[in-house]
Amino acid sequence: MTIMKVTDFKELLIRSLDKDSDPAAVSVKIEEAGATFRFSEGFRDKVLEKIYSSGSAVIREVEFVRSLNSVFYRIALSGVAAIVILLISIFIVQGSLSLDSFLGLGDGSDESIICLLTGN
Amino acid sequence: MIKESYRQKSENDLVKASLDGDKQAFGEIVTRYQNMVARTVKGMLGDSVYSEDIGQEVFIKLYHSLSDFRGEAKLSTYIQKIAVNLTLNEIKRRKRFFSTFSQKGNNEMYEFEVADYDTEEKKEASELVNKALMKMDPKFRMIVAMRMLQGYSTKETAEILDLPLGTVLSRLSRAQEQLKNILGKL
Repeated sequence: MTIMKVTDFKELLIRSLDKDSDPAAVSVKIEEAGATFRFSEGFRDKVLEKIYSSGSAVIREVEFVRSLNSVFYRIALSGVAAIVILLISIFIVQGSLSLDSFLGLGDGSDESIICLLTGN
Repeated sequence: MIKESYRQKSENDLVKASLDGDKQAFGEIVTRYQNMVARTVKGMLGDSVYSEDIGQEVFIKLYHSLSDFRGEAKLSTYIQKIAVNLTLNEIKRRKRFFSTFSQKGNNEMYEFEVADYDTEEKKEASELVNKALMKMDPKFRMIVAMRMLQGYSTKETAEILDLPLGTVLSRLSRAQEQLKNILGKL
């Protein structure tokens, strides 16, 4: 590329960002000048091999992440369900959801607790 | 003969066939859009073999999310969005890696290899674009890659990058300033 051509090419690159320029036409010119971006030969086959070969590490990784996600959701859902059941049962047994009810002290008087702890 | 019949199929037909497990149909999608993805990924990450890996990931992710494609937008826009997201993730990953493990700064984040070109002029042009893009701020580089390499309008760029039109316009103007400075030094 001669010095003039380099200057022209730089101008073209700068002009491509003009708000009023025709981006499609300028990008074609830039590509014709040599600024092409291509994947290597056999790119398509490599992609298809990765997708359709069952032994592919990428697919296995994707499958692993997916199953991990589904396991996580199942555990999270069961956890939430268990917490809700626990709250309901505490409410039914203790009659409220106060801290004392959580600790199982909702229906005991102070004296009975002292008696329980000290044995006297 | 079989390939010819796939070439004539519409995007939606190819998507449906791919969902039914038709390997050739998905192959045709890859053939149609691989250059578009290459311009986005290599424009933003540099022309290296690592960009090829990201390019492959784009199509693998597309394959796994084909069932989510409802045909409301163009397939090319859908693929571009995947390409942009994966490329931005890769840029973030590289930033984290190089800031943790390297003392040399960001310059080595975007090494590129120059492919074989039929003329010296084309090789120089490609090198110039690569060097200029890699020196740009990633948020400007995204806009430049969409505009300069893909030829998208401001509206299309805003749609693909999920940015307001005003943001794209202001970034475009700042990107142009940055590009002028960079090219002046190259």
